[in-house]
Amino acid sequence: MENLKTNAEITWCPGCGNFGIFTALRNAIPKLEAKGINREDIVITAGIGCHAKIFDYLNLSGLYGLHGRNSSNAEGIKISNPDLKVITFSGDGNGLGEGLAHTIFAAKRNQDITMILHNNGVYALTTGQFSPLTNQGWKGPSTPLGSFETPFNAISLLIEVGATFVARSYAGDIKHLTKTLIRAIEHEGFSFIEVLQPAMPYHKWEEYKDKIEYLSDEPKSKEEAIKIAHNAHRFTIGIFHQEIREAYHKSLYGSLNPVKESLSRDKRLEKIIEILKS
Amino acid sequence: MVHDVFTFLVGGKAGEGVKKAGSVAAHIFSSLGREVFQMDDYMSLIRGGHNFSVVSTSSHSITSHYMKANLVVNFDKRSCDTHINDVADKGIIIFNSDEQQNADGIGIPLSSEAEKYPMKKLMFGVGAVAILSSTIGMSKDQMNQNIKNQYPRGIEDNIKFADSIYDLVKGRCKNKYPLQRGYKERSIITGNDAISLGAIAGGLDTYFGYPMTPASSILHFLAKQAKNFGLAVVHAESELAVINMAIGAAFTGAKSMVGTSGGGFALMTEGISLAGITETPILCVLSMRPGPATGVPTYTEQADLNFALSAGHGDFLRIVASPGTVEDAYYLTAEMLDLVWKFQTPGILLTEKHLSESSMTIDLDIERAKWAEPKMHNGGNYKRYKDMDDGISPMLFPPSKEIIKWNSYEHDEIGITTESADMIAKMHNKRNKKLRKLIEHLKTQATVNIIRGEHPTNIFAYGSTYMSVLEALKYGGLNPTIVQPIYLSPLPVWELEEFINQDNIVIEQSVTGQFASLLKEKSDLNIRSVIKRYDGRAFDPIELSIKIKEELE
Repeated sequence: MENLKTNAEITWCPGCGNFGIFTALRNAIPKLEAKGINREDIVITAGIGCHAKIFDYLNLSGLYGLHGRNSSNAEGIKISNPDLKVITFSGDGNGLGEGLAHTIFAAKRNQDITMILHNNGVYALTTGQFSPLTNQGWKGPSTPLGSFETPFNAISLLIEVGATFVARSYAGDIKHLTKTLIRAIEHEGFSFIEVLQPAMPYHKWEEYKDKIEYLSDEPKSKEEAIKIAHNAHRFTIGIFHQEIREAYHKSLYGSLNPVKESLSRDKRLEKIIEILKS
Repeated sequence: MVHDVFTFLVGGKAGEGVKKAGSVAAHIFSSLGREVFQMDDYMSLIRGGHNFSVVSTSSHSITSHYMKANLVVNFDKRSCDTHINDVADKGIIIFNSDEQQNADGIGIPLSSEAEKYPMKKLMFGVGAVAILSSTIGMSKDQMNQNIKNQYPRGIEDNIKFADSIYDLVKGRCKNKYPLQRGYKERSIITGNDAISLGAIAGGLDTYFGYPMTPASSILHFLAKQAKNFGLAVVHAESELAVINMAIGAAFTGAKSMVGTSGGGFALMTEGISLAGITETPILCVLSMRPGPATGVPTYTEQADLNFALSAGHGDFLRIVASPGTVEDAYYLTAEMLDLVWKFQTPGILLTEKHLSESSMTIDLDIERAKWAEPKMHNGGNYKRYKDMDDGISPMLFPPSKEIIKWNSYEHDEIGITTESADMIAKMHNKRNKKLRKLIEHLKTQATVNIIRGEHPTNIFAYGSTYMSVLEALKYGGLNPTIVQPIYLSPLPVWELEEFINQDNIVIEQSVTGQFASLLKEKSDLNIRSVIKRYDGRAFDPIELSIKIKEELE
């Protein structure tokens, strides 16, 4: 494993599931480099929450955005310079609460970015309120009597709205997570990985370890994938769905790279004169 | 009417080609070498209602429409009722006699003539062009040529229909208003076209937008030109997405712009603040319509000034500037794009529906547009937020072996999150230094447009109100000095010092007088009175000249 670490002080709780994601990603990057992806081309964005602290720790370029808006930042980066490989980190509250619309639209557009959704099932950094993925009955400071909303099913939701790679993995299985990350980042189009991870003040590793199950086969169609995602329990990990569909930037402008091939001032002025004549 | 201003007003239902008829009229006038100002008044609906287009023309410069028209063409009864008082002295109304009898003016059976053709009511606009052509003494050949060029669908029917209308009008008012030729044939564009072209000239690479009147036509114009200029133009899911995508785009070095109106801008403020701390060069067009909230979508106002000046939470530098004319909109957009890249901070191009959507003849010096170019890092270890004397850290874009981190949290020079007291204060100071440098820079260029007059009173106006004032003074033969601050943040107080203790009047479109308050607060300007209009309509030059005259006497 490469270092890929900055000098920033790591402030995740000891034993936090985020360490697993941090490790798996640092495993994955040299392997992606071996497959021909340049490290300089990898750009990261993050929202706000415990997940996002990874931005400070990873020695990669990127944009540490606002709560919920990280996938929009990622989309803007990809659209402007499609040569870049963009990875966006999100929490369950960040990406499916505040940023739900942006997550869904990035998937709908099949924007060629990878979203890693750190699912700890709670708003950890803000002291344990229920999240869009928290099970009913959660007694947090905002739901003292227990939450009563039905959680989203992130996997079936993302398949339904158009993500072309949808997987679930687990921060406690670095090997599985590394492999899944590599496949997601290599995928051309919107790739989404929900990563199950405990948040230490609120969960125990044991609650996860006993429940993890592996998906036996990758479903063959979108319909089958949605059905399996519905029927499997929330600790089933594996790749649920992968399909090929043209990425957004290619539909938008073909093979152009707007920032690299930016038109010269003279050419622009010439064309403006033409427009004004017509 | 004064000088040689001629005004054509055409009114009817949405979907009957009212706006198109106005724009064809504008082209006819400009083909005579005359100058033109066209204002379209339309309701927030798709079909029906009442829309009208007012086109004023002069052989000399003209910067407003006149609500008193020499020729009024009404397609329906509602138009007749609405515009009964909009006729100039000795002006004529031509109405659709199939829709209404006994109206003052000249009845033409527009509907029954149009019924003869499959396009029916869709031909009303062509009828209005025929009426205008006949009234201004244009030959049938010329008229038919214009119709061929401007109405490419169903040319034969259109020409037959136009011929019959031309003849019906001929006996009653042919050549009633022979128009003197002007001096130069010019292009006609809207304010939003000028903003779009200015952005392109300044180096725009990407534009992100969400439809909102009156800014939508920037999105439409740029989407149409995307391929021609190699731009990425994106209609995103919300203004939240728009501003955050644009900030992502800027991270790659792409010159980016967004555009919206008040409500959309409210959603963008979170992102404007992000641009503040990440020091993102981003240009936002805020085209004002009457608020609060949904307000009156298709009309004009200047009540988002205070909002623009303080948009986004936290202390950071916002550059706010407002173009006075359509031509200025071209230069100023390019200049603002350059400024936001020079100073790495958000900029707001503040305008109004009246400028965004009105059309004018222009005579642009295309080359005069600025070109956005950031200060770049030239080798060695890179620190995104390196503390420099002027607060401006050199830029670097991916891909790079150097690590480039932009951060919404307070951060150190590298861009890593910090909570250190020293670092927080240091970064505030770093960003704050940019203001001094910006003022230094602005002092070397035009920031206030001053037109000296002989009358001792000064009139202050900004944005499109400047155009209304200019025309009102011309109409009334009045000559106070006009002071039009182009920059509103920072307000160029250095240019305003001489006026502080003089006799000053402010003219603006805000019920609370936001612009007057700004002038008082920032430059301690003595203001005798404020002329306001806040009914969604731009000032009419005749009405405004009367008000100004009263104040000057």
